[in-house]
Amino acid sequence: MSDNKIITPQKFLDELRRFQKGSVTRRHFLGVTGLGLATAVLGTAMPGLRPRKAYAALSGTVNLTTWPNYHNQENLDAFTKKTGVTINMNVFGSNEEMLAKLQAGSTGWDVFVPTNYTITTYKGLDLIEPLDLKLLPNYDPATQDQRFTSEGAVDGTVYAVPKDWGTTGFVINTKNVTQKPASWKEFWDLTKGPLTGRVMVHDYQLTTIGNALKYFGYSFNSNDEKQLGEAEKLMLEAKPHLFAINSDYQPSMRNGDAWMSVCWTGDGVQLKRDLPEMEYVIGKEGGEIWTDYFAIPKGAPNKEAAYALIDWLLTPEINAKEVQAHGYPSTDARTNKLVPKEMLENPILYPAADLLTNLEFGAAATLTNPLRAEIMARFKSA
Amino acid sequence: MAASLPSSRSKVVTTLLVAPAGLFFLFLLILPLIVVIIYSFGARAEAGGYAPAFTFDNYANLPARGQAFINTLTLAPLGTLLTVLFAYPLAYFLAVKANERLRTLLLVLVIVPFWTSQLLRYYAWIMILGSKGIPSWLAWIGMTDVRIINTPWAVLIGAVYGFLPLMVLPIYVSLEKLDKRLLEASADLGADAPRTFWQVTLPLSLPGVATGSMLVFILLMGEYILPQLLGGGKVFFIGNALVDLFLQSRNWPFGAAVSTALVAIMFVTIAVYMRFVLSRGDTRRAALV
Amino acid sequence: MSLRLYAAFIYVFLYAPIALIVFFSFNAGRYAMDWQGFSLDWYGRAFTNPIVTKALVTSLMIAGSTAVIATVVGTLCALGLERMRGWLRQLFDALIYVAIMVPGVVIGISTLIAFVTVFDAVNPALEAVGMARLQMGLWTVIAAHVLFNLAVVVLIIRARLAGMDRSLVEASEDLYATPFATFRQVVLPALLPSILAGFLLSFTFSFEDFIIAFFVAGPNTTLPIYVFSSIRRGVTPEINAIGTAVLLTSLALLMLAQFLLRARARAL
Repeated sequence: MSDNKIITPQKFLDELRRFQKGSVTRRHFLGVTGLGLATAVLGTAMPGLRPRKAYAALSGTVNLTTWPNYHNQENLDAFTKKTGVTINMNVFGSNEEMLAKLQAGSTGWDVFVPTNYTITTYKGLDLIEPLDLKLLPNYDPATQDQRFTSEGAVDGTVYAVPKDWGTTGFVINTKNVTQKPASWKEFWDLTKGPLTGRVMVHDYQLTTIGNALKYFGYSFNSNDEKQLGEAEKLMLEAKPHLFAINSDYQPSMRNGDAWMSVCWTGDGVQLKRDLPEMEYVIGKEGGEIWTDYFAIPKGAPNKEAAYALIDWLLTPEINAKEVQAHGYPSTDARTNKLVPKEMLENPILYPAADLLTNLEFGAAATLTNPLRAEIMARFKSA
Repeated sequence: MAASLPSSRSKVVTTLLVAPAGLFFLFLLILPLIVVIIYSFGARAEAGGYAPAFTFDNYANLPARGQAFINTLTLAPLGTLLTVLFAYPLAYFLAVKANERLRTLLLVLVIVPFWTSQLLRYYAWIMILGSKGIPSWLAWIGMTDVRIINTPWAVLIGAVYGFLPLMVLPIYVSLEKLDKRLLEASADLGADAPRTFWQVTLPLSLPGVATGSMLVFILLMGEYILPQLLGGGKVFFIGNALVDLFLQSRNWPFGAAVSTALVAIMFVTIAVYMRFVLSRGDTRRAALV
Repeated sequence: MSLRLYAAFIYVFLYAPIALIVFFSFNAGRYAMDWQGFSLDWYGRAFTNPIVTKALVTSLMIAGSTAVIATVVGTLCALGLERMRGWLRQLFDALIYVAIMVPGVVIGISTLIAFVTVFDAVNPALEAVGMARLQMGLWTVIAAHVLFNLAVVVLIIRARLAGMDRSLVEASEDLYATPFATFRQVVLPALLPSILAGFLLSFTFSFEDFIIAFFVAGPNTTLPIYVFSSIRRGVTPEINAIGTAVLLTSLALLMLAQFLLRARARAL
């Protein structure tokens, strides 16, 4: 990586295996794969040494559509000060909501933050602009893991640039859960058994059905009717034992009503920070890995400002402040070099490498599969 | 009122009175409803959304949400009934018994809690009904292992809480006009309090009860946040099915068919209910259709 | 007496959750309902967070305008319908119910699609004559909110009109009062409680609505949109602080109004 070459998927896997066998250190692994700090070389990482676009021509307002608590307000203010462009921020609760709204039309957005599995759908619906990377001088694909950049491209054209990433595992309250579950098999078996009435799953077909498929060792993205049938049967068996079907699981985990829940990285970090007895587990069969991207919707009213804003936020020193504000690991090796060591060493944010191997990116087809929607509806109304 | 006016001028006045509302109905109700009806005969596009088509498939597929319809049609009337029972005495108190100088203040105080965030109110109820709240007090008096949160009971409690003002206000409005001399006359004629209530007060307040119940019933039928948060997503209303169809799986044509069916069901239910109320109460020209 | 006790119980029922919300607005922790110690930080953060303050102002503007327009249009409509008969009256009656019956998510998305279709048709013509393009904005939210609330207002006012004493109106007319004078001196005072009730409900519905605003607000964020979108990343006590501030302000205004009314009553 120090010579700025993009790591190939094959090399990524090779490095993983070396790391798993213990022949290289964790730090080496993170470095070589671009996930960590050791690699990013000073020369490429120093912002300010790179050419920067003149901001003089910019004006007006840029509409940024993103997730709540996802940016550092100082960074946004600094952008306004520098360029004269005011930022109007919109926040959303889910990708499907973003998609539904963009699809219905007339949003006026300039920049938005989709997750990996929606990008091909946006492209298919012609709702998203191809990106001109020349207008993003501070973005460097070479310092990004290819695993992340490839999800932002459709047929070789870049539509979105990666921002940060995370995983979907489950969280347990070790005060009440003493069984040390490490797999999705154990997760569902405990739900139906000793932890009856204490477990939550997401109100989200992608992760709930995906992790039920993992019980049988099938792909998280399986759209096979027979396999989905088995997953549905498991979910229906578990339903009477569930505390709730709700993606808003922090209140119940915190007040002790729920003891185990399907969980995203960020919630895992927040729960653990306040309550040390919480443990975040990535099922050993695998599960989901995801990445959020910056993208520009078709018909963005202020495209120049949109490029300038994305470029600004992806500038490593700015991005490092972003990372500390939202708490998710950046995809950029240069940025990772600039964030505090505690974050890099946090196993929830940067899980052990062997756990990452089995994780899968959610696929667009998984998200839009009508059969999965019907299974979820039957599960919830049963 | 219009009797003393020449009829053409009276017509102009009437038209002017209803015209603004008519414009709203035309552009913000009829137009969107046409969209819904067209969509309900369409097909789901490959990646979700709407694709033009003419098919009855979406209507044929309605039984796939049958359970949600059943859940809603059981809990919505029950929630409405409970809300009437809780709201009536308060409205009566405010309209008839409360200190006149404090009356308006007390009335507004019924609604002020609803100016804080709805989500936070439900979070508060999650705490109150969760195992560290009411169930732990019940355990003190020997009732252990009571679970309220994420059951239909929690949804009903939430419904009474959330819709109380909507019921109190119309009942209050219809009771407040009640001439107190009527009550006195009734008492003077030797009627005891319960009889006065049944024969004078209740019939007079019936239009308010009918309006309130209808509003609460209709809104409960379309509710989705309440079953999601207090029912823990395990109590699945038709409103939840709709939100999933429009925002999650984005099967808009099926969502359009489900909503058309929902509105049709409500229409029939309310027509039956109105007939019942109208035949019962002596409210000749009730406030309702 | 027992009725008074019952009323007290209902007020406790209404305000107990509110007390919890106020309590947790002083939470030092980052999570809305998880006590980590006392702090006033979230008040500072809430009122220096531009997205939150802007959302609050947007919400107040939308709810205020909605309540005024819905109350006026709804009251006029209720009065007009009293004078109407025949199929047009029945059509209006049906539309009023349908306006309330269509669930928010459906009215939200279908209104958005209808708006976008109309805009696409009208905008080229507007541009040709040099006028501004139509876009989604606060006015689209207000329009969509007014539709629902005006129907609510009509229903509440009718509950009052039903069985209103006609003899007063007739007496007024016998005394040769103009129709407007009759309206102002007889009808309006009689309707006032229901107009107030309709106004309060309209304001509340509009201020609380998430799902309709979600679709038709264009690039604007209202307070409920902000709060509901925050669920996935954790709702902070910032929201409690805003809620508490709104609550205390409205209570203070109420007390003030009560005090002024009393003072005036005493002066008379």
